[in-house]
Amino acid sequence: MASIRFKNVTKTYPGASSPVVPNLNLDIKDKEFIILVGPSGCGKSTTLRMIAGLETVSEGELYIGDRVVNKVPPKDREIAMVFQNYALYPHMNVYKNIAFGLNLRKEDKNEIDRRVHEAAKILDLEHLLERKPKELSGGQRQRVALGRAMVRNPAVFLLDEPLSNLDAKLRATMRTEIARLHQRLDTTFVYVTHDQTEAMTMGDRIVVMKDGIVQQFDTPQVLYDTPVNLFVAGFIGSPQMNFIDTVIQKENDKLYAVAGKNKLAIPKFKWEALAPYVSKTVVMGFRPEDFLTEDKRTKDNSMSVEMSFSELLGADYNLYMYLGETRMTVKIPATGKRPEKGPYEIAANMEKAHFFDPDSEKAITH
Amino acid sequence: MEMKKSRKIILTVVGIIVAIYTLFPFYLVVMNTFKNANNIVADPVGFGGVSVSQLMANLSAVVNNSNFNFWYAFGTSAVITILSLVLLALFGGMAAWVICRNKTKWSTVIYMTFIASMIIPFQVVMLPLISTFRDVGQFVGLSLLQSIPGIVFAYCGFGGAMTVFILTGFIKGIPYELEEAAAIDGCSPEGTFFRIIFPLLAPVITTVTILNGMWIWNDYLLPSLMLGQNGKVKTLPVAVQAFVGSYVKQWDLILTAALLAIIPMVIIFIVAQKQIMNGMVEGAIK
Repeated sequence: MASIRFKNVTKTYPGASSPVVPNLNLDIKDKEFIILVGPSGCGKSTTLRMIAGLETVSEGELYIGDRVVNKVPPKDREIAMVFQNYALYPHMNVYKNIAFGLNLRKEDKNEIDRRVHEAAKILDLEHLLERKPKELSGGQRQRVALGRAMVRNPAVFLLDEPLSNLDAKLRATMRTEIARLHQRLDTTFVYVTHDQTEAMTMGDRIVVMKDGIVQQFDTPQVLYDTPVNLFVAGFIGSPQMNFIDTVIQKENDKLYAVAGKNKLAIPKFKWEALAPYVSKTVVMGFRPEDFLTEDKRTKDNSMSVEMSFSELLGADYNLYMYLGETRMTVKIPATGKRPEKGPYEIAANMEKAHFFDPDSEKAITH
Repeated sequence: MEMKKSRKIILTVVGIIVAIYTLFPFYLVVMNTFKNANNIVADPVGFGGVSVSQLMANLSAVVNNSNFNFWYAFGTSAVITILSLVLLALFGGMAAWVICRNKTKWSTVIYMTFIASMIIPFQVVMLPLISTFRDVGQFVGLSLLQSIPGIVFAYCGFGGAMTVFILTGFIKGIPYELEEAAAIDGCSPEGTFFRIIFPLLAPVITTVTILNGMWIWNDYLLPSLMLGQNGKVKTLPVAVQAFVGSYVKQWDLILTAALLAIIPMVIIFIVAQKQIMNGMVEGAIK
């Protein structure tokens, strides 16, 4: 069993005035694929390195399974780690790199050979076993790093931005390979990335971190549909969510979001949550795809914007426009005529509108 | 374009002059081993009296001279050089690794101490060193003077600074993740050093070893002070002194012995010069 549990864990670096990770509480279930995501310096790598035993825990308790591992050295934690720069031993060939950990554990030679070849077969490395790391491409090096971790049969697999050094195409391929590897190995994976696409496509659950604090910990769909605050809403999703400052107005017992000259009718199911904000400014958020086709445009969902330019992505257009001073990105199917620069009317899907408190930045309703 | 060409010519001429200036003593040694003592004194620079048979006679006289005892001196030099180099590589590597990876104010102080010791001329410390070695030797009950362990110990001290300096620069370029990966794989700190770091240091250790080796092998002053002119243990450069009398200097034998002493280092340098340059450059840019 390899669940991971952070119980009031704090990490403060020596000499630092404030902790990089303050009071972290996190429960990762056995065999889950967890993604730690956040901007640079948010504490995601430190959190991963605490699991690995490469960083000490300043306060609190860290469990792997039922065991507190605060003082357990990395080699005794039943973990394997894949590093951002692969960390392959340059003077050893692929075979020796993969077998290194097993040799140190004095495993039987035949068993080592069997496991190395098995891993090499899964990762399509069999023809490269005699090569040194410098003779391999980036993708091949990454697969060797995965192989080195695999052969140890670890209870927990830790991956620290493993795809960030690869080009876009290879990254997409390796993403699938890692997800498949997780299914095959059926063990706990903890994966650090700053790329929200990786986070959304690979993880069973995602931990969104900022300034060492967990902002939200849930499935990708929940994070996308119901972000708990402005940070999560802005971080998850590409292109990112559009935020518009609006004033909530009440007219004839109905609520409207007013942004400049635009007045958008708020669906009834959101009224209760927004009632305390009548006559106040809130932040309204729309995903780029949460806009309707022209035939569904009404006076209650129409926004007058200034079209800046558009991009054809094949199946869709990305439209870049301004609502007053606010820049917006809208994604529409590339079926009709390409919108031209200048004044433009767009229909917002108010059912999908998100509202946030501008002071606390917390979500009011989705 | 013209400027570039004329500049190239000037640089080439300067290079040739510097090369001639540097190689001239070597030329004198080689040329005069082909002459007898009289011809050396009569025409030290020219080709007068040069013959291969004279070279053979000189070689035979040097190798068979009982006062010089060539093979014993050669063996002593080899033992001292090899022991010093092995210890320098091993402990220099360890020291550089710890200085690099354990960043404390003390590690900085220790590193700066190593660097500072490089700027102190040997001549300043040589006399206090001898008396200190004598006193320490008496205190611990070991003979540090006139003994191989004593001079090896001294070479480790004098060579340590440059070794640590060059190796530290190189280790800084080794990704720390390799050591972390080794720790996760189950390596102890000692295991990490010997299995990961030390093999990666091979190119720069080769460079440092060659540089230290040339200096230790050719060194005259330290062994003449520590081992003495009349001691039992003699290195090749000290043993050559056997041909220098109060009234007569046997230049034919002195120069032939010097040539025999130089040859191993010249061969090693020619074979390994590419390695030396690689090691120097890698240490500099990593």
